[in-house]
Amino acid sequence: MAKWGMVIDLDTCTGCQACTTACAMENNRLPGENWQDVLFYHEGTYPNVKLMWFPRPCMHCENPSCVSVCPTKATYKDPDGGFVLMDYNKCIGCKYCQVACPYGVRFYVDEKAVVQPDIRGVFPSEAGRQWDPPYKGPQDDPSRGIGIQPHGVVSKCTFCYHKVSKAPKGVADLDEDIPELKEYVPACVRVCAPKARFFGDLDQPQSMVNKLIADKRGVRLKDETGNKPQVYYLSGGATASVPSLRSMNDSGQS
Amino acid sequence: MTSVTVTNKEIASKQLGIMLLALIGLLFAGGLAISNLMTAGHAAFNTDNLGLFWGFPIVIYDYFLLTSTGLAMVASMALIFGGEDYRPIIRRALWLALAGLLGGVAVLMMELGHPLRALWAIPFSFAFSSPLYWKVMAVSFYVLSLVILQARMMKPDWQTQDLRINAMVTLALALAVTAIAGVVYGSQSFRPFWASGDIPVAFIFESLLGGLAFIIFFTYLAYAFNPAAVPASVKKLFNDRLTNLLALAIFIHLLFVLARMSSGLYGNAEGLQVWQTLATSRLFFAEIFIGLLLPLVLLVNPRTRIRPWAQILAALLVMNALLIARYEYIIGGQLVPLFKGAWAPPLLNYAPSPTEWLLLLVAIFLSNAVNAFGEMTLRLGREG
Repeated sequence: MAKWGMVIDLDTCTGCQACTTACAMENNRLPGENWQDVLFYHEGTYPNVKLMWFPRPCMHCENPSCVSVCPTKATYKDPDGGFVLMDYNKCIGCKYCQVACPYGVRFYVDEKAVVQPDIRGVFPSEAGRQWDPPYKGPQDDPSRGIGIQPHGVVSKCTFCYHKVSKAPKGVADLDEDIPELKEYVPACVRVCAPKARFFGDLDQPQSMVNKLIADKRGVRLKDETGNKPQVYYLSGGATASVPSLRSMNDSGQS
Repeated sequence: MTSVTVTNKEIASKQLGIMLLALIGLLFAGGLAISNLMTAGHAAFNTDNLGLFWGFPIVIYDYFLLTSTGLAMVASMALIFGGEDYRPIIRRALWLALAGLLGGVAVLMMELGHPLRALWAIPFSFAFSSPLYWKVMAVSFYVLSLVILQARMMKPDWQTQDLRINAMVTLALALAVTAIAGVVYGSQSFRPFWASGDIPVAFIFESLLGGLAFIIFFTYLAYAFNPAAVPASVKKLFNDRLTNLLALAIFIHLLFVLARMSSGLYGNAEGLQVWQTLATSRLFFAEIFIGLLLPLVLLVNPRTRIRPWAQILAALLVMNALLIARYEYIIGGQLVPLFKGAWAPPLLNYAPSPTEWLLLLVAIFLSNAVNAFGEMTLRLGREG
């Protein structure tokens, strides 16, 4: 059984937000509520200010606190692949998983629209879903949090389960440059123009993700929480770095 | 004797008035809140996805839940340890515990995304790793235990072994509910504003404080705030015991709040910076000076502590201070945004929406209507 993981090279990432856009298209995200986001923040104080950025998908943790706290087991760790998924049919919308996630990667679907006009009103759904966009992904699996969300639930990144889970068994890396594998690559990885993202099996020692983590000293975000993310960051320190704090305030602290 | 009978009739009619008023208020506030939720959905609340996930409705729910367990603790301890003096308040405290819980749970149901699904999804999930699972299970058994105990106390003999065992079970469940409610917050290690091993203990003391304040206030309310109508046994209990206990509970609660504030102001872990804002806010000053210190002074001063007006005022102020404390704790722990970059301010802004305020009214009116119904029909002041 695979344990899929992602490596993001911060030295290569340009902060172009192609990953965010691809994720939004693939998963019909509402404007401003990005399962995958590139966060921008300042570092330093005037006149020595740097604009920094930090790509942040769901970490699909090995030991996810969101899964531990869910009172209905609506959010769960898929043993085959290590995905952290949502079962919309079991979610009661208590939001404890949001409270318990240190990374802020979960979204309650019925909050006020971040971007106006509220696109849910422009494309209303008559099927009990959140909205009815003109383009919808062909996949719909509420038991894994795939497809347009129903009301009253929490949603999150699926690591593009609908693509990755169909990959041939035993593959070490899902690389968009390998023609026969590109359809199985998560949307955010596939569109990354500077190739800052890598996706592969963390349980296979020969996988590219493991080599990168070993060679370039991959680190995990807020590792002290004990959640053990399956997303690793590479940083030479010259450009963007992994922030130590979750709030990025205007005084330049990150 | 005649004058007392007349007074009792007057009081009964006032309870009817309270119940009708509460029902009208419930109809108005509940209708408006439901209408808002039907039209705007969850967007009627001022919560967001930046970091403030649990808003005022959760504050209200936990406030009423912990008040309920506090009342149950007071009543069951009185039964277990055989405090004869406490008899006049036992049944009232137990009924009030049920009424308060009903108000809190009603608000929770209006906050949840799928309240009906929660009724079956939680018990049958067997999600043993989740504090909320255990909280819901404990609350369910707690309610059952409260109902059984209340029903048992309709019978006259209050000194039997079965009643004592029933009270022990109720006490254990009330303690469990309160402690688990503390674990829900205290276990969030990356939120240092919340996280602490002593939060369940702090919650237990806060519950007791709420229970004592509520029983004093609602006992006077049961006699229409007319000290002349209050039985001598109740006056004796209040003057000799409850005011002292309330003062002690205020003092312990103050210690917990001030200790957390001191650690928060000196600590530099992310999330504790909320204390810099909180400790200088008007709400915090109101809580400490008007909600806790003023009642403490009223209750330790020999000249005021036996005055009914001082006891009522102290209880009312403490009830408000606890609501503020619950608000500051739950909201304060979420004010630092979670990896939202420059799009989010360093500290999130939150104030309850009109719909969220309406939910507070729903809880108050519903609890009062149920309580007044109990006062009218169950003779809650009976002493055995």
